[in-house]
Amino acid sequence: MIEIRNVSKRFKKGWYALKNIDISIAKGDFLFLTGQTGSGKTTLLRLIYMDIFPDEGEVAVAGFLSSTIKEEEIPFLRRRIGIIFQDFKLLKDKTVYENVAFALEVTGQSGRKMREKVMKALTLVGLSHKRNDFPYTLSGGEQQKTAIARALVREPFILLADEPTGNIDPEGSEEIIKILQEVNTAGTAVLMATHGVELAKRMGGRFINLEQGQITTK
Amino acid sequence: MFSLREALIGLRRNGVMTFIAIGIMFFSLFLLGAFLWGTFNLFGVINLAREKVEINAFLRESLPQKQVEELSEKLMSMVGVESVEYVSKEEALKKFQEEIQDAPSLIEAVKTNPLPASFSIKLKDGFTSPEKVKEVSEKIKIFDEFIAVEYGESWINRLDKVVKILFLFDILLGIVIGFASVFVVSNTIRLTVLARKRTIEVMKLVGATEKTIHAQFILAGAIEGGVAAAMSGGLLYLIYQVSSKFFVKFYFPHDFIIIGTIVFGLILGMIGSKLAVKTTSKEMKFESPNV
Ligand SMILES: Nc1ncnc2c1ncn2[C@@H]1O[C@H](COP(=O)(O)OP(=O)(O)OP(=O)(O)O)[C@@H](O)[C@H]1O
Ligand SMILES: [Mg+2]
Repeated sequence: MIEIRNVSKRFKKGWYALKNIDISIAKGDFLFLTGQTGSGKTTLLRLIYMDIFPDEGEVAVAGFLSSTIKEEEIPFLRRRIGIIFQDFKLLKDKTVYENVAFALEVTGQSGRKMREKVMKALTLVGLSHKRNDFPYTLSGGEQQKTAIARALVREPFILLADEPTGNIDPEGSEEIIKILQEVNTAGTAVLMATHGVELAKRMGGRFINLEQGQITTK
Repeated sequence: MFSLREALIGLRRNGVMTFIAIGIMFFSLFLLGAFLWGTFNLFGVINLAREKVEINAFLRESLPQKQVEELSEKLMSMVGVESVEYVSKEEALKKFQEEIQDAPSLIEAVKTNPLPASFSIKLKDGFTSPEKVKEVSEKIKIFDEFIAVEYGESWINRLDKVVKILFLFDILLGIVIGFASVFVVSNTIRLTVLARKRTIEVMKLVGATEKTIHAQFILAGAIEGGVAAAMSGGLLYLIYQVSSKFFVKFYFPHDFIIIGTIVFGLILGMIGSKLAVKTTSKEMKFESPNV
């Protein structure tokens, strides 16, 4: 579903943030992306959801090619993937329910079916009882769960997570990772960027380690 | 519908921002409306003064009635002439006596009537500039039934100068106020859009098209600009009502001032937010903070 072929990315001349990256992610994979700060994890994720484009090589996601995708097509690519961040990116003037529903409403969905989908996603992350709360009343872990529900409500084939536990205490982090594993068991691929190599090893998932923009372990 | 609902929710839940934005826009649109209103009245006064411009053509003694009538018709058919009024010797004397009422001895001194009959000729709009008045009066001079033709040359020259200065001043002021209000309104709108950058970011994140993103903010901008403009139009109208009750009855072209202000506010709100969303959305990148 995702093919990264010989991709390089430079932000400055002669200096590579990513160099000769080859990764392929299949349906149902759970993949950790590890590496020190500045090693290029965020850059790789941004290449996948096509916020930026490679200088060399090609990224293929759900049939969209980085070399040929048009700007108007990017929203349709984004609808096929779920993305969560370290800073949650929730709308603070909306309740938990509204934040999740928003992802469906912006593409014209409404009515009972839409509400059912939202409740299903909230139940999945165990947050349906807090659906009418505003994000600022929630803990970091709960905010990230809301973000996960929003990312999943469209039933994407992959969930991209950039340091999802970076702002959450250890217990909360465990919970988030457990949810990601459940999501994966249900058939959604997960690609999670994190500093913690130990965590990745402990979880026993497949992991890719980046060092200064290059893959060191597969 | 989604866009309208989101626009309204956004305005309501960001109440303070909305309030401040509408307040600022209200103030600058009010200034603009007041300026327009002032300009209308200025031109009203200028027109009143211009209507006073007239040419006096004094007739020879004892012309036959028929010749006077023919002459009047000829004057009427001249280019630029609005009206021709015949002032007989008797009327001229009466006017003169009224004018020198304060010096009764002078009135007595006037035994016979030395004043000639005359035509008082009013000119059409656009023929009241010094050059045109001179042109018309030169043409009138050609008839030899007249002993003299005059039109208060120095007064007209002075009026013309004053009008030109006022006009220039008004245009300059208009440009300044116009630019200032466009600048203030569009910047205020831009700030309200920037304050909701996160909304744009999330919309892009979950796959909203540019059209959907724009619609919501354009609607919000239109509502803010429209409300602010309606308020300024309303206040101007109120001032007009109060002043015409207690002071002067100003000229107030309702349609132009009220509708003009509202349309201007709406359009400015829409264009302002359209440009702001477009640039914000274009430059949007999802760099989460590198911690
Ligand atoms: N927009 C940009 N302009 C210039 N340099 C950039 C840009 N984005 C990233 N970089 C650089 O590219 C390198 C990789 O950055 P990236 O954000 O991918 O690292 P990361 O592995 O996500 O780090 P962290 O673990 O701290 O999040 C860094 O050296 C960073 O400074
Ligand atoms: Mg990063």
